[in-house]
Amino acid sequence: MSQLTITAKRAGWRFASSLPALFGVLVFTFLLMRVLPGDPAVFFASGPSAGKEEIEMIRKQMGLDKPVPEQLVRYLGDIGSGNLGRSLTTGQPVLADLKSRLPASLELTFSALLIALFTAIPLGVAAALKQGSGIDHLVRFICALGVCVPTFVSGLLLIYAFYYLLGIAPDPTGRVDIFSSQPPLVTGFLLIDFALAGDWEGWRAAASQLVLPAFTMALFVVAPLARITRAAMLASLGSDFVRTARSLGLPPRKVIVTYALRNALLPVLTIAGIVFSTMLGANVLVEKVFSWPGVASYALDALLASDYAPVQGFVLLMASIFVVVNLTVDVLYGIADPRVSVE
Amino acid sequence: MSILKTACLVAALLSSTALPALAQTRAETLRHVTGAAINTLDPNIPGSTREAFGLSLLTYDRLLSFGKKQLDGKWVFDLDTFKPELAESYTVSPDGLKITFILRKDAKFHDGTPVTAEDVKWSLDRAVTANVLGKGQLLTGSLTSADQFKVVDAHTFEVTLPKPDKLALANLAVVYPVIFNSKLAKSKATAEDPWALAWLKENTAGSGAYIIESFKPGETTILRRNPDWNRGSTDKPAAFKRIITQTIPEAATRANLVEKGDADIAIDLQATDAADLEKKGKLKVISTPQYNAITFVSFNNQMPPFDKIEVRKAIAAALPYEDMFKAALFGRGAPLYGATWADGKAPTGATFPIPQPVKTDLVEAKKLLTAAGFPDGFSTTFSFNVGQAGTAEPMAALLKESLAKIGIKVDIQKLPDAQMSTLINEKKVPFFTEGIVAWLPSMDYFYRNFYIGPIRWNYSSLNDPQITEWAQAARFEPDMAKYAALGKELNTRHFELMPQIPLWQPSQDAVMAPSIEGYVYQFHRQIDFRDLSRK
Repeated sequence: MSQLTITAKRAGWRFASSLPALFGVLVFTFLLMRVLPGDPAVFFASGPSAGKEEIEMIRKQMGLDKPVPEQLVRYLGDIGSGNLGRSLTTGQPVLADLKSRLPASLELTFSALLIALFTAIPLGVAAALKQGSGIDHLVRFICALGVCVPTFVSGLLLIYAFYYLLGIAPDPTGRVDIFSSQPPLVTGFLLIDFALAGDWEGWRAAASQLVLPAFTMALFVVAPLARITRAAMLASLGSDFVRTARSLGLPPRKVIVTYALRNALLPVLTIAGIVFSTMLGANVLVEKVFSWPGVASYALDALLASDYAPVQGFVLLMASIFVVVNLTVDVLYGIADPRVSVE
Repeated sequence: MSILKTACLVAALLSSTALPALAQTRAETLRHVTGAAINTLDPNIPGSTREAFGLSLLTYDRLLSFGKKQLDGKWVFDLDTFKPELAESYTVSPDGLKITFILRKDAKFHDGTPVTAEDVKWSLDRAVTANVLGKGQLLTGSLTSADQFKVVDAHTFEVTLPKPDKLALANLAVVYPVIFNSKLAKSKATAEDPWALAWLKENTAGSGAYIIESFKPGETTILRRNPDWNRGSTDKPAAFKRIITQTIPEAATRANLVEKGDADIAIDLQATDAADLEKKGKLKVISTPQYNAITFVSFNNQMPPFDKIEVRKAIAAALPYEDMFKAALFGRGAPLYGATWADGKAPTGATFPIPQPVKTDLVEAKKLLTAAGFPDGFSTTFSFNVGQAGTAEPMAALLKESLAKIGIKVDIQKLPDAQMSTLINEKKVPFFTEGIVAWLPSMDYFYRNFYIGPIRWNYSSLNDPQITEWAQAARFEPDMAKYAALGKELNTRHFELMPQIPLWQPSQDAVMAPSIEGYVYQFHRQIDFRDLSRK
């Protein structure tokens, strides 16, 4: 069997086996939201004249007047037909909300992950090559700093320095300057859409809006990536094949990059996958600080209001993304290390 | 490839045609930043947010709006004077049972249809019959049935009342009875949805000063001026050509934006930021005590030990008012403590709330607590919701410290907003802090809506026949002297029972660029952008 079919088969199998997990997540979130204290109907019936009648009205509108098992069956039916319900917080269908907000979160997360990888891997490699040296300690210090400063603190600090004091950064209010126009919607990723439209000025504006939040998020995840790169590099630098390669007199660059680093990448990939999924859900603070219209801040607002539909939709979305990311990591494993694909 | 080229061309064309609309100067645009979001375009939809109310008064007109008055040098809305909007004039019959409105003849909806009495009738019928928020509000002004609204001719409209009600006109000036384009709305109505609730939630059919250009819930709302609108005080359209309302969740960022001059106005900054910006003196800060709002420390009067008056009074004597006011609000507001009532009776009854004769006196508190049968104190919880944490957290800490001195052990509970509202609605919170707002801040309205019946807003769960009787009597009392006498009784009784402790009226800090003029504090605690202009 060729490499490709093995990978495809593996991916297919992995995907199929994750479906029960998705279903479980669905049911679990549904039940969890109902168990949580806090009645959305009461919360949203907060007009100055809100009485029992209004609460009942909202409850009926949300279908909460029915018994829970019936609600669950209806909900599953709705999901089956692609209807995730309606958010009371924004007043829009959840699917539409998620669709318009997911690209914002993904764009931010991808950029942050790229920045993090491009910083963390060289840092980790450098630290491993000069173990115990000043560089190693410096990397350790940077990592400790990145982890221990919460993202909203670093975010606010960056805003204070680059927007408020220096005036270099644009105002931290979302993805694009409010006075400029948006590109025609193609993918939802502004950088791609601006590029497609050939509007390079807009592209630059969108990129400059992205820089601060992306760096804030990257700061936070540089540490695990750099530490794992260092550990994996140490292991592979000390292994037999590297010793052999060195003794054969191969150029150091080839030894380090081709042999040591490629072997060290597996754990980095695993961590990167996990980091990506975590970032997507956990970047709520960054989204809040930079008024980024992403899915995480959307879900948090909904959660505080006990707004069931968006929270359930969000969890389902995250679970699906997790599945896809794991799948991708699996496939990348095969590319990084062909031995993995042999079951 | 050619598809891509075409796409680029189309995009280029689109952006070039879109440009003229945007080509207004920055000075003609007002950028407003807020932490909250608009969730519907129709204020009547159950679940509407306060910001949605604010928006609808820009896109829709009412028959009347409130006038304004000066309170300690700040402009605020005036419950007792009215400014005509769609009505050119109105007359109240001598017996107070009939209000006749003459409508403006030049008013048009955004689509060009003239506004007629039919539209007014349809809109008011909808507010009292459909499953909407208006119902509960309008009944406080004796407006309950469609039979009360009559079209006399195309521009004359009549409202009949079962009893002369002081709040009938005021209720027509709140956000719910906005006037819809009935022809347009009816064309979108369905058999299940005869009042076009679903359509109006996402679309506007109004005649207001602004037209929605783009609406992204939770992100931005952009409004464009309606050039034909002339219901303002000067018979001109609104001053700003464009209004951008942007949701910026982080309060510190909002403060930065306004300070840097990138945003023009914000009304929901943290008290510390507002105080700071005021001190720097670069911006205009208009700090208006919200005279229609009150922050309370409240007890569930049905729940032991708070069912004992002495316990409630002991706590009222043990609260560190001054420290709490400074820590929670940085002194930005109007305190409701520390008054002296000469004979133990309320000095006035025309208004509520009035400053209470309470002060921190731990010896007295201990005495009262002993009299209540708790010489060693007791343990309880003190709750507030996460949304209020900014002010409630420091306040709760001080309260806990002070009550510990008289032996009351307090456990602080910070609850998610939805959970807190649920518990309050079910009357399960013994001791907590909450705030109230009355759109129509007349004395009897406060008592009727916040102290009677098993409703959510009766925070103290008070069930006092005296208060109920006086409040209902005051509602229809035409003689202002008698009304004030009833109010005096009510205010005195409120203090004697101490169902909850009024603390203060927090300020609304409107922070704006120095060039912005005309700000008025409005009943719905939103900015009425039609008032504003740039120097």
